[in-house]
Amino acid sequence: MGFSTDAIHAGQEPERATGALITPIFMTTTYAQEELGINKGYEYGRRDNLTRAALEKNIAVLENGKYGIAFSSGLAAISAVIHLVKAGEHVIVTDNVYGGTYRLFEKIMTGFNLQFSWVDVSSLENVSSAIKENTRMVYIETPSNPTLNITDIRSTAELCKKNNLICAVDNTFMSPYFQKPLNMNADIVVHSSTKYLNGHSDVIGGIVITNDKDTNKKLKFIQNAVGAVPSPFDCWLTLRSTKTLALRMKQHNENAVQIADFLKNQNYVKHVYYPGLKSHPGYELAKKQMTGFGGIISVDFGEEETARRFIKKCKIFTLAESLGGVESLMSHPATMSHASVPPERREKMGITNSLIRLSVGIEDIEDLLGDIDQAVQ
Amino acid sequence: MKKNDESKSIKIDETKYSMDTQIIYGKNISKKWDYSHHVTAPISSSTTFRLDSVERGAQGFQQFANTEQFGESSPIFIYDRLGEPNKDLLEENLAYVEKGEMALTFATGMGAISAVLGVLTSAGDEIICHNTLYGCTISLFDNWYPKYNIKVHYIDLTDTENIRELVNENTRVIYFESPANPNLDIIDIKSVAKLVAGLNSGREVNRKISVVIDNTFSTPFCQRPIELGADFVVHSLTKGIGGFGTDMGGAVIGKKKYKDLLLLYRKDFGAVLNPKSAWGILTYGLPSLSLRQRQQTNTAMRIADYLSGHPKVEYVNYPGLKSYKFYDIAKTQMIDFDGNFAPGSMIYFSLKGKTPAECKENGRKFMDYIAGSVYTMTLAVSLGHTRTLIEHPASMTHSVVPPEQLKDRGLDPGGVRLSIGLENPDDLLMDLEEALQNINS
Repeated sequence: MGFSTDAIHAGQEPERATGALITPIFMTTTYAQEELGINKGYEYGRRDNLTRAALEKNIAVLENGKYGIAFSSGLAAISAVIHLVKAGEHVIVTDNVYGGTYRLFEKIMTGFNLQFSWVDVSSLENVSSAIKENTRMVYIETPSNPTLNITDIRSTAELCKKNNLICAVDNTFMSPYFQKPLNMNADIVVHSSTKYLNGHSDVIGGIVITNDKDTNKKLKFIQNAVGAVPSPFDCWLTLRSTKTLALRMKQHNENAVQIADFLKNQNYVKHVYYPGLKSHPGYELAKKQMTGFGGIISVDFGEEETARRFIKKCKIFTLAESLGGVESLMSHPATMSHASVPPERREKMGITNSLIRLSVGIEDIEDLLGDIDQAVQ
Repeated sequence: MKKNDESKSIKIDETKYSMDTQIIYGKNISKKWDYSHHVTAPISSSTTFRLDSVERGAQGFQQFANTEQFGESSPIFIYDRLGEPNKDLLEENLAYVEKGEMALTFATGMGAISAVLGVLTSAGDEIICHNTLYGCTISLFDNWYPKYNIKVHYIDLTDTENIRELVNENTRVIYFESPANPNLDIIDIKSVAKLVAGLNSGREVNRKISVVIDNTFSTPFCQRPIELGADFVVHSLTKGIGGFGTDMGGAVIGKKKYKDLLLLYRKDFGAVLNPKSAWGILTYGLPSLSLRQRQQTNTAMRIADYLSGHPKVEYVNYPGLKSYKFYDIAKTQMIDFDGNFAPGSMIYFSLKGKTPAECKENGRKFMDYIAGSVYTMTLAVSLGHTRTLIEHPASMTHSVVPPEQLKDRGLDPGGVRLSIGLENPDDLLMDLEEALQNINS
């Protein structure tokens, strides 16, 4: 089936008893059992919920995966993935990973004796030479946040297979509409569904998708044992959202391409990070593994003063954490999403004080361009 | 783990249980939706329903609002406006708790009132109602019914015999609230029902008079008018039954033979209750009604006692005060599930002043002080909320009544309406004392 067809139908058969076309919000914490040991396969809301199951099935199909396991936030999903690694084992992580992932791995998981190497994974050699005897997982984000570096999923996954490592990909920035890491042999896809999947800035959520039966079993166990599950209402809202994912992603992409084009020609801009620009070092690779370039652009104004003025004067772009919503947002990674990363590491990653990340929404492009233009005048 | 897909049919006689218990379980297992393994009902969230075949679709439309012919077997859901499971589940429980044969929900209390009167009257018919009614009901009668050529007579129904003076062959409905909003007039429901039964004895079926009562102020916990002989009860579910101030809703409860007409009316006029609202009322409103209403009634009794003894208060209308002129009749008909006198959670009172204008001004100062400086009371319309709400009917809920008509509608220009919430009564008394001390008169 086509992407939009799946988005609208997968996991969402009409409700059995009434024929209700839209999945009900199954608001129950527990299930009546008929006799000891006899039930309909549902026992307790943390372990099983029908609305959640519909969402998991839906997004799994969109990622071309067999299993989806939903969580209460993107970080809850990421922490479930990192729970697959045991004490004493080692993980290779993309060096410009999302700040929250960095904080989780470095500040919490190291306390459980997990080891991390922070590597520029856009070069496969770097990954290869970082592999140690106890390495268990390679964790990548592509495009990365916020400088949009592109990592070759296929060759990374191949390297992982050879070395018996788990290849995990955070696909939040692209959404399955533009990139399907499982198709490129990644083992695990993780999402902050708060972003494009939900897309309306009204639900915090996360999801992990895999094709591997055994990994699914482990993740389901973690989901129930650790307990960071999303509410049925949040799952229902996210299901509402995936139905328009294709429409939204097309528009995000279309708007972002035009804005990146516009910005690269302005003399007040030092650098534009956007994988859809020919000047972007990952452009060719992006074209190969993505079917669009997405809605995130990072702009380095060179001068911190210019960046500050831009933030202050924008009327449509709102200064706020998060991304992937229908409304355009901007953020200052150095003090916001990546504040937990030490300054010297930030500098190395290109996260200067004059860098602004734009999450381009689906407003009319004329208005967005007009807003940028008036902000720098 | 063994699985069992066979729904076990549990046959239980609910009627042997107390109302406190029935209010939580309703019919226990509903034919309306086999969600039986979910301990809490799911929230139905679909505007439309899949039909297996054209034949089944046709059958669904045929069965809709046709209970006489098809009975009330498992419904074929078609479209939310016609009916969906959450509303059906709530309606079963509402009918139970009000001791009616059926209940039908609406988007709001006004949706329910206009529906029941809409099916009972036609152009040329007449309604006799009590002088004092909720402001928007007055607005419905005064602003819209003249257009439909439905005549409304306002009379003092606290004397039931007054009905005889106005009743004629066109009279179709006796309509009132008891206690009345906002002055808490009490109308003898049994006596109205008895008088109307006498009037009806010689009338043709389609010219009979129905007794319709808005039971919102009492909630079924404090009073069940159908047991006293009323034909229909209407509710704003937004108030005591919903109880948490989160959702709007309305209901008509009464005889089964009117259900089809009401269903058609609801379908065509469109004031359907949102399933998400129905779910909330079903899941946390109704099941906690007894607890809330019992607590609120106990607190109201203490507050009314306190106010009636306060030197700055002119009078207090509260059905539980022995000094209240309607105390005796209230005591016979406001009875809770356990058989105790339950005078409700609403209080109406006025502050002292040398002139009516000064009474009103003192009331304004009192309410403004509460609005600005008090923690436990909120200046706001609505009632039956977890929070204590205070308001000035003449300028808010009853603002539709022109100043020169206030007296005819039983309204005191300085009257204050108090809806008691779930706060600790000592805290309410402390804040009321502080607010009363701050009126300089």
